[in-house]
Amino acid sequence: MNVETFKYDNRIVRAFAIATVIWGIVGMLVGLLAAVQLFYPDANLNFQFITFGRIRPLHTNAVIFAFVGNGMFMGIYYSLQRLCKARLFSDFISWFHFWGWQSIIVAAAATLPLGYTTSKEYAELEWPIKIAIAVVWVAFTVNLIGTILKRREKHMYVAIWFYLATALTVAVLHVTNSMTMPAGWFKSYSMYAGVQDALVQWWYGHNAVAFFLTTPYLGLMYYFLPKAANRPIFSYRLSIIHFWGLIFIYIWAGPHHLLYTALPDWAQSLGMVFSLMLIAPSWGGMLNGLLTLRGAWDKVRQDPVLKFMVVAVTAYGMATLEGPVMAIKTVNSLSHYTDWTIAHAHSGALGWNGFLTFSMLYFLFPRLYKTQLWSTKLANYHFWIGLLGMMFYIIPIYVAGITEGLMWKQFNKDGFLQYPNFLETIVQVVPMFRLRAIGGSLYIIGVFMMAYNLYRTAKAGEFEPDTEVQAPALEKTSSAVPHGKLSWHRMLEGKPIFFTVLAVVAILIGGIVEIIPMYLVKENVPTIASVHPYTPLEVLGRDIYIREGCLGCHSQMIRPFRSETERYGEYSKAGEFVYDHPFLWGSERKGPDLAREGGKYPAAWHYNHMDDPRSTSPGSIMPRYSWLLTQKMEMDSLPWRLSALRRVGVPYPAGYENGPAQKDLRAQAEKIVADLKLGAVNAEPDKDIIALIAYLQRLGTDIKNAPVTTAAK
Amino acid sequence: MEQKVICGIEGVGIYGVISILIFFVFFTGAFLWVLSLKKNYLEHMEDLPLDDSEKPAADKNQSA
Repeated sequence: MNVETFKYDNRIVRAFAIATVIWGIVGMLVGLLAAVQLFYPDANLNFQFITFGRIRPLHTNAVIFAFVGNGMFMGIYYSLQRLCKARLFSDFISWFHFWGWQSIIVAAAATLPLGYTTSKEYAELEWPIKIAIAVVWVAFTVNLIGTILKRREKHMYVAIWFYLATALTVAVLHVTNSMTMPAGWFKSYSMYAGVQDALVQWWYGHNAVAFFLTTPYLGLMYYFLPKAANRPIFSYRLSIIHFWGLIFIYIWAGPHHLLYTALPDWAQSLGMVFSLMLIAPSWGGMLNGLLTLRGAWDKVRQDPVLKFMVVAVTAYGMATLEGPVMAIKTVNSLSHYTDWTIAHAHSGALGWNGFLTFSMLYFLFPRLYKTQLWSTKLANYHFWIGLLGMMFYIIPIYVAGITEGLMWKQFNKDGFLQYPNFLETIVQVVPMFRLRAIGGSLYIIGVFMMAYNLYRTAKAGEFEPDTEVQAPALEKTSSAVPHGKLSWHRMLEGKPIFFTVLAVVAILIGGIVEIIPMYLVKENVPTIASVHPYTPLEVLGRDIYIREGCLGCHSQMIRPFRSETERYGEYSKAGEFVYDHPFLWGSERKGPDLAREGGKYPAAWHYNHMDDPRSTSPGSIMPRYSWLLTQKMEMDSLPWRLSALRRVGVPYPAGYENGPAQKDLRAQAEKIVADLKLGAVNAEPDKDIIALIAYLQRLGTDIKNAPVTTAAK
Repeated sequence: MEQKVICGIEGVGIYGVISILIFFVFFTGAFLWVLSLKKNYLEHMEDLPLDDSEKPAADKNQSA
């Protein structure tokens, strides 16, 4: 037997570990700032770059792609080398991957506060950064597959299957959802419009949760949990079913984010059924994790690593039961747009991803530095304060969410809305927002304790840059298996490329079944004759709406419930969104829906409301947008914007952007200035606020002019 | 609207049958496959994360 000596690369693991801790702290602090603004809007210091609408995407991107992303790469690069008994494929690619990923994070942190955003949730970064993400992701995938190909262990442990599925599926999702038409360096318009855009976005959004936050971490669970408990996984058979069941079913469930919207009903039902089916593989995986600890629960008492893991796996189980329940249309009619969704997301993020990351960090640092953890006691304190923080975060937000849902739907005995003013419902839950910020603070204090503990551990030990090991080279043909008895399973995992192709086919089936009819739908969205493209001024106003992240709090999608049509007006139709690149339906309501906002209030109301929301709506938690009153609108880029929109299918006449558009824009702006004068407001026609008012006054008015539709009221 | 879309596809009736077949075959196949796995193979796989040729000093007693 030819025994080879080689070295595991610990430097790259340490680099990703440090990045995980740093970005974790940054991302969570940004989240805390956003949380505080929800009960104290002035916490943005009237500074546009740190206002809720802009830092909410910064928070989500930072915790998902920076904290969990780096945590994922740390765990994968550590476990992959050991499971393959091989050093990573290429040191150069490893470091290209590391610095590339950190640069993308820095670019995100710089551009999102500046308002450069596509507005599509968890895919907000503008096109140059999206291209960079694709390049770095390919580097990661090459490193992953290259390492697998040069492995010295014949079999691929199930964790590696999860890593492979992650690498490939995220690539497919990212590319499909990033199809945009650039309109300048940091502006682009989605290729898809309205309903199609919504379907692609939530096919992506849901599967980003599945294949960025779930599958890689399940792979890590299958490695680190047995490792920390020092006993094999409960059932390897179950882990195989878990894997194939999960990747086969997950990809179909995306439309559950769009229940009761203008998305066709067949797609909604598809999403709901597959979401319910997901309970089976998810709980199979959770039980597999927890049952690994059977007979070893005494270790959980002593070892903080295992404590964190037990809570992480339990949170995974809770979130994957709750998710399918929320995907049932009846439940969703109550939960959608409320803080219930936020609570659900955070039970997964804080519990599953957060705690599993912490457990890996506590596991890895002593090993990388060849020492003991500096303080087990401090780690235990971290565990308890983290758990308490999680409870203080999640429980009040559940209460808030259900309160909102019930209040929005409540009618009085005369058949009128009990709470016709949206503000009443939000003022009611503000105390819950305060409690949530306390919970978040506790959680972050725990992370600081961990950072200090890990720092002291590193100081006390000596870093081992490479671990030297020996293993026999992998023989080309196996002598253990008699000729002709090679099962197809062994062939499958013996050929990672073939395995990869099969896994991709499994995930593509779901995607194709959803997306092909989507193109058929494109031909069949009932067109509404009175729906016209946005005017140039409205295009600029819509882009301001996107820049400021208004859809972080305001939906533009009225569901067909009496409680919604009474409050907001006629429910939204698919045909109303054919010129919406991107769609702006939103996913939460911290403020009222705006789909029929046009004409509800005079222009001057909007002007005063943007200057100080509390002057028109006492108790409002909306931040002030006073900079819109003084900033000039971006006229120079108008030709770029209009021609990009034309290229994605909006029928502006040829040459419209060179002269006629500017003329139309000025005429409409002057009209709004005149409207403002009626309300005793003097404004200049070239300011941002004029464009925004034009857009808001347009919203939902198209079908009011349509002869074929009947208005609800 | 969805009826228009779905009825517009030629021979749409067969799609439902195909999808149920795909799922049935897939999950039955996966189930039979894992049942057919040999015990020594499973034991080998289960031991993979635990089988470390590196033995850092702190490895065994660190978690205690």
